[in-house]
Amino acid sequence: MVIFLKAGGELRTKLNPDVDFYTRRVETKEGQSLRDILIGIGINPAFVAFAYRDDKVTRLDYVPLDGEVITLQPPVSGG
Amino acid sequence: MLSNEEKERYSRQMLIPGWDQERLKQATVLIVGLGGLGSASALYLAAAGIGRLRLCDGDTVGRSDLNRQTLYSESSIGLSKVDEAGRRIADLNPSVAVEKFNIFLDSQNAGKLAEGCQVIVDGLDNLESRFVLNKESFRQRIPFVYGAVHGWLGYVGLFLAPQTACLACLMHPDLVSRDRVPVAGITPGTIGLIQANEAIKWILGRTASLLGRLLIYDGTDLSFEIISVEKNPACPVCSKA
Repeated sequence: MVIFLKAGGELRTKLNPDVDFYTRRVETKEGQSLRDILIGIGINPAFVAFAYRDDKVTRLDYVPLDGEVITLQPPVSGG
Repeated sequence: MLSNEEKERYSRQMLIPGWDQERLKQATVLIVGLGGLGSASALYLAAAGIGRLRLCDGDTVGRSDLNRQTLYSESSIGLSKVDEAGRRIADLNPSVAVEKFNIFLDSQNAGKLAEGCQVIVDGLDNLESRFVLNKESFRQRIPFVYGAVHGWLGYVGLFLAPQTACLACLMHPDLVSRDRVPVAGITPGTIGLIQANEAIKWILGRTASLLGRLLIYDGTDLSFEIISVEKNPACPVCSKA
């Protein structure tokens, strides 16, 4: 199975995009949650404030489907 | 009642169909944090004629603030932000009543600060205080115009839990803030203006475009993306309402 992860802000450098400037192609196993996938590619879930797909926020326990595109955003605290 | 001077001052915006200047004049808005976000929102809310602005910030102005904190100038360095902001707003629009609180927000004073406000605008610079403000917004059922920035990236949303999700539905309160966040000055300007826009629309009773939604702005590619934030059944703040 393959999913596509995109990232914003400083999280982009941690993601190591390989498809384009924003996106990384990731091979996943059946039943793997987004949290497990992130850990598997070396991203600490604590660096992810929230994730979304199809314009809706999704939890890190979500199990992505084949071909899905999920965007990750970092914690942003400045004012 | 609007004075003749006020009618003249606001004449261009009063041409907008459905604009109710009297309603803005009767409103009280709390702005917590007078940095880059608070500078932009405070100036435009004052210029629009919000009747009463309640300003809260315990900080003083530093030189490194001046790339983005447009309420202040070189002569403000070392002075209290609320005092300087009050001066600037009085100069811009003397008909706005300004309440100044030269304190930092905490869970003890949040209730009193928010009391009687129609909208809370987030100008804070750390996540911990934002979650305090979010909780107070939920407790008093006051709309919370959330905003935050980092580098070229900015978030803005409008939460009114339990009717919508709250900030703690979107992200976990245990996320850690960074000190000395990098900020391109234009980012909080952009986000702060959108916060002011949403606050004004809410007071006017117009469609609140960001109610229960989050706008993600990325200045590097000039993208604006809006996503829906659904209520989290396990939210530590609003799930039990």
